[in-house]
Amino acid sequence: MNGGREAKVAGARIAGLVSCLPREQVDNAGFAERFGQAAVDEVVKMIGVQSRRRVAPGATTRDLCRAAGARLLEGLGWPLDSVDAVIFVSQTPDYRLPASACALQADLALPPGCIAFDVNLGCSGYPYGLWLAQGMVAGGAARRVLLAVGDTVSRIVDPQDRATAMLFGDAGTVTAIEADPDGEAYFILGSDGRGAANLIVPEGGFRAHVAGADPRLDGRDPAALYMDGGEIFNFTLRSVPPLVARTFEHAGVPPEEHDAYLFHQANLFMLKHLAKKSKLPPEKVPFNIDRYGNTSSASIPLLMTTDLAEALRGGARRLAMFGFGVGYSWASASLSVGPLPICETIEA
Amino acid sequence: MSKFYEGMAEIFEVDPSRITPEFALDSAEAQWDSLALVSTIALVDDCYNVMLDGSALAACTTIADIEALIAQAAKG
Repeated sequence: MNGGREAKVAGARIAGLVSCLPREQVDNAGFAERFGQAAVDEVVKMIGVQSRRRVAPGATTRDLCRAAGARLLEGLGWPLDSVDAVIFVSQTPDYRLPASACALQADLALPPGCIAFDVNLGCSGYPYGLWLAQGMVAGGAARRVLLAVGDTVSRIVDPQDRATAMLFGDAGTVTAIEADPDGEAYFILGSDGRGAANLIVPEGGFRAHVAGADPRLDGRDPAALYMDGGEIFNFTLRSVPPLVARTFEHAGVPPEEHDAYLFHQANLFMLKHLAKKSKLPPEKVPFNIDRYGNTSSASIPLLMTTDLAEALRGGARRLAMFGFGVGYSWASASLSVGPLPICETIEA
Repeated sequence: MSKFYEGMAEIFEVDPSRITPEFALDSAEAQWDSLALVSTIALVDDCYNVMLDGSALAACTTIADIEALIAQAAKG
């Protein structure tokens, strides 16, 4: 398989980030009532999720990102008119149109005339978004960019589908990116749409869902998220270990010179296998899927504010990031981050 | 005892001495369910650096069947 495009972006850096979690915590007890204790134990053994957060009815990813963005701007002390762009990376936008980024621009009182657009990506969304935002700064289109990344997958799962209902959690994050002559980041970005049907919400866009076209969807609500876990697992095992190796090579920075390897929090069993397969020391592979579930596009920045906040506030850390999944789509990054004046998790 | 047999014993939560080529994957003591399948794919990847096809693996009924699949995949 062609492993993706290599890109280097010079001239930008991460200036700070804030994650926002919904207050409602959902543990596994309720699922045991619904699916039976034995079934829950079996799923949990694989995915490793003990608890996840869920937005209140009616709340959206944009709401989480609005709260995170407001806190971030306050913490950085950036004048609002110094922000030239806002990008919203999500698969759970407010509307089919307009773009949620436009709404966020107004929510955060950013200046009219600000660049604003949405990007529809999930598991690979954070490194993809960083590449885009840093590229905009390096190319001179913007001095400062807010990169909002998050999902509220709880809004699209079928509560009776244990494979997805127990796995996913909600979170929204905003990362601030600004010009820095010393900033340097290395990315690998790719996609393989042959896997599109393996992780999909079949209905809700403009293409009519044809009942019976895919037997795996028989008897399911086409407006709910469908995941073929086995296929996703195979894709991940095949594509991520080579991506990890190539990322270090492309950056010219050996694995041991990285302070942490941040994997998209897909499921715990898979994460442990990927780390082992790539021969990465487990103490440098943080995970928070036990506490927050698979938070889709938000999982990597959420890891930074939950498990690395102190380290990133304290000094420069070399990070490697690996996002992979829905699309199929994947992206990786190797860059130095910190010291950050603000790197924190809030609740809303 | 090979690392593969040890891993299979762990997946099925049986005593390692139980795992032989004739061991039945779907029986009173073992369940050849989706969890066992993905765990086996990961284990085989670990032990032999070989990726098994999910549907071919699901069709296996004994440990010997899996070993045949591994040998075939390693050649291919």
